Amino acid sequence: MRAQHPVVLVANRGEIAVRVIEAAHRIGATAVLAVSHADRASLGATSADKVLVVGPAQAAQSYLRAETIAQAAVQAGADVVHPGYGFLSEQPELAEMLEDEGIAFAGPRPETLRAVGDKSSARDAAVAASVPVAAAENIEDPTDAEATLVAGQSVGFPLLVKAVHGGGGRGIRLATTTEELLDLVPQAASEAQAAFGNGAVFLERYYGSARHVEVQVFGDGEGGAMVFGDRDCSVQRRHQKLVEECPAPGLSDARREVLHSASRSLVTALRYRGAGTVEFMVDTQSEDVIFLEMNARIQVEHPVTEEAFGVDLVAAQLRLALGRDPELPQVPPVPESCAMEVRVNAEDPTLGFVPRPGTITSVRWPHGPGIRVDSHLYDGYRFPPFYDSLMGKLIVRARTRDAVVDSLASAIIRTHIDGVPTTLPVHSWILAQDAFRTGGAPTTWFEPAWEAHTEQEAVA
Amino acid sequence: MSDTQWQDMLNLVELLEAGEYEHAEVSVGDVQVRLSKTAPLSSPSGAPQVPAAPEPASAVGPSAPPVPDAAATSPALASPPEPEGTEVTAPLLGVFYRSPSPGADPFVQPGDPVTADTTIGIIEVMKMMNPLPAGVDGVLAGFAVEDTAGVEYGQVIARITEGADS
Repeated sequence: MRAQHPVVLVANRGEIAVRVIEAAHRIGATAVLAVSHADRASLGATSADKVLVVGPAQAAQSYLRAETIAQAAVQAGADVVHPGYGFLSEQPELAEMLEDEGIAFAGPRPETLRAVGDKSSARDAAVAASVPVAAAENIEDPTDAEATLVAGQSVGFPLLVKAVHGGGGRGIRLATTTEELLDLVPQAASEAQAAFGNGAVFLERYYGSARHVEVQVFGDGEGGAMVFGDRDCSVQRRHQKLVEECPAPGLSDARREVLHSASRSLVTALRYRGAGTVEFMVDTQSEDVIFLEMNARIQVEHPVTEEAFGVDLVAAQLRLALGRDPELPQVPPVPESCAMEVRVNAEDPTLGFVPRPGTITSVRWPHGPGIRVDSHLYDGYRFPPFYDSLMGKLIVRARTRDAVVDSLASAIIRTHIDGVPTTLPVHSWILAQDAFRTGGAPTTWFEPAWEAHTEQEAVA
Repeated sequence: MSDTQWQDMLNLVELLEAGEYEHAEVSVGDVQVRLSKTAPLSSPSGAPQVPAAPEPASAVGPSAPPVPDAAATSPALASPPEPEGTEVTAPLLGVFYRSPSPGADPFVQPGDPVTADTTIGIIEVMKMMNPLPAGVDGVLAGFAVEDTAGVEYGQVIARITEGADS
């Protein structure tokens, strides 16, 4: 039995705390926010109905302590805890403690978190659900040229020769031909023996020019699976996403079908509960599609999916956790609108994107049709140095991708954040590049292109 | 403390946060910061904690405008009519108990002399009992919260007045 006016404990901070509080209010719930001592004056703290200070500024003693968050849920009389993203969102411990207390968790079951949280068990789950994974072959005997050739042809070229016990990029060789493969395997094996005390190597297909495409899923916890299209998040710097869009541009129907049906079967196989994302590598040189991992949480970039399809995924998470109908519609594979998001960080792009917390003296976001801002900034906010540098997300929706890019570029110009440097100039630059405007740039595009641009600027 | 100093302090804390240590103590001018990754934080004798005397977070209506973080800005301005004594604040969120078990005698009574190590209560977090030490030598002036009350991090639980010969 769930209360008519349920209580939601929001166990996160920053923009996502504000977002979850809005969703809680939207479903008629009371929102209690668990904050660190440093976040007592945050926008989330003022928009919540009640605030509980759970610990000091350091996340390790506040937002990352499962037992403290569970205790706060008990003290708040919460019916459900929403963990947001990061922090405890994918930690089975919190989900288990809440289960013991009879409090719902707006996320998957603890056992699902365990299954997808570990790379090798996630791969096993994917293989079992017929989700495509990267081709790989073990080399039993590095001196057996014939067996190596068979393995190489089975994996396909180009491929990587990797030490089984290697790490940190060491012991990895790229082979583009069979000749190179036959040379490299014995070399890599003896190097691995010397470096790691174990000469075992394996071959893995290499994708030098792939896109990051992910599928938004929602499971009912009993095997039922819904797919809310896909997102392209290929503009990245050091594996941090900068720009995200829905739908992923330039995907053939066949490829999209592979991505969506693989994701759907993974959700069914896991009896996945709630919102999740299945991440893939989509090769730009071949038709290959490779499973990367499953993120068992709401993601930073969820708004592009919400805007493109006109749904509220966070409210749906809360409703499902409370035993209600999540109120999500059946949608087509491709939405009728396009949406794009840029992450606005308190970082100095002229100094290697170093985080620059400080006082936000004033903030003005743009307004207009199809513009959405998810942010926790306000005038005078002292952006704290203890957490990540995300200040907000600027999201724009339009009928076509070209219109989205133009509208977003214009919205960025009308955004004014004073007091700290921001990544907005980087986004303006990205949106003006042909490689980006065409759509479908690989994950390897941004970093060298931006580096070349800044070097040019330095000369000029 | 100026804005710059405060920022320096925050940066320092951030740096330390990434490092491997159990306890750290940093002094900048007359301000002292103590960090611990393991032990509950209690006030060092005499010196105020930074940020000192945190105001308990209160329920704020959805329409209330954001307020600047006064406590974090300038520790000196934090508590307007300073009640006497040193505050013993909750080192973590939990349920406060004055007795070791239900029905048992309280650990201490108002008026009792205490030392820094004297346990004055327990804070329970998910069935884990965390003893709460007085933190300073003196006399227990009184409790600011009821037995079995839920408390937040930084909330004042008791006051210790000094001057007792203990």
